[in-house]
Amino acid sequence: MDGTISSALRGSVVEEEVELTTVELGRACRTSEQQIEVWVHEGVLQPSGATREAWRFRGDSLARMRLATRLMRDLEINSAGVALALDLLDRIAELESRLRR
Amino acid sequence: MATKYKDYYETLGVPRSATQDDIKQAYRKLARKYHPDVSKMADAETRFKEINEANEVLKDPEKRAAYDQMGSNWKAGQDFQPPPNWDAGFEFRGGQGGPFGAGGSFGGAEGFDPSDFFESLFGRRGASPGAGPRRSGSVQGEDHHAKVLIDLEDSYRGAERTISLRAPVETADGRVAMQERTLDVHIPKGIRPGQHLRLAGQGAPGAGGGRTGDLYLEIEFNPHRIFRVEGVDVYVDLPLAPWEAALGATVDVPTPEGTVQLTIPKSSQPGRKLRLKGRGLPGKNPGDLYAVLAIALPKAESDAGRAAYETLAKAFPAFDPRAHLQG
Repeated sequence: MDGTISSALRGSVVEEEVELTTVELGRACRTSEQQIEVWVHEGVLQPSGATREAWRFRGDSLARMRLATRLMRDLEINSAGVALALDLLDRIAELESRLRR
Repeated sequence: MATKYKDYYETLGVPRSATQDDIKQAYRKLARKYHPDVSKMADAETRFKEINEANEVLKDPEKRAAYDQMGSNWKAGQDFQPPPNWDAGFEFRGGQGGPFGAGGSFGGAEGFDPSDFFESLFGRRGASPGAGPRRSGSVQGEDHHAKVLIDLEDSYRGAERTISLRAPVETADGRVAMQERTLDVHIPKGIRPGQHLRLAGQGAPGAGGGRTGDLYLEIEFNPHRIFRVEGVDVYVDLPLAPWEAALGATVDVPTPEGTVQLTIPKSSQPGRKLRLKGRGLPGKNPGDLYAVLAIALPKAESDAGRAAYETLAKAFPAFDPRAHLQG
């Protein structure tokens, strides 16, 4: 960018600059704190911090949670099923990315 | 408003006599097949929207009865206007659960996004700005989400984008209208596909003094003619002449920041990746750019060309490109 002053809004890159609390993650994904707790127990999300109040989620949890929420809502599958689907989707993404290199 | 009639039974592939269980089963099967997060089909998103909308109507016995009441003589795609008082006696214009309550056809990317046909029958749904539980006291506004498409070059240089967002607002008479607004957004250098930008306070307004929600922008890249992005690394296919690959050469390689010169080691084989360190997507840990070598063969169409290939054949009498195919 050149040196001109711009009024454009500046945001933070969630995946690199942001850690989310349980409340923030729930609000961003329109999901209850109870459901987030379920995802943590299923191993879908791995926050730092020992208690629910102290949990901090890495920025990439946002995309993962949103995907989990869509799958659960649209396909009517339960949390364990969604956790399995996410693992399989990760593997597909990894294999496809190897094919494209 | 004239819209086109939609045959929801046809969309789900069930007869008009289908039971609620048949409908549920048909919906689940099609939803798994066409869900945009799972399906690789090009039209998955459109198909999924249609399936979802058909299910919204047919899974709800009351809406289904109202839809059925219009008769079975309509054909999909026919110009359609709801008959006067067609919905008398039905009460589906009240509270909604499921995707209707999710509060967002925001930016057209979230949740249930009804067609004009659906809206002509059942009204505009999920568009209430205060959707969700209303509590007393101050309530923070909802977070909103939208997608932004940028070019690879925008991530190398940083960029500005003007984005338009459609969001539901409540009008003075209590109805819901879609309001368009535009935002100038700075796209930071080094942003990667799939990452999100959080713009604090650009979501839905709060109630009772609650703070405004945030806006999350999901970044996607337009497909590029020559570059592929994998994480922070960028790949480009680099064709070489046979003699460049065999003897070594210095060739021009395009990068998103301009052309650079690359030394090709002698005896390079196709598929070999040459790394240009730090020339991938910029950032704290910048990615690399990989030139994937390929060999392009000139056609032997002239006498001199044919003679050159014949000389080559004589020079390598023991060369067997298919040696590894033998057991």
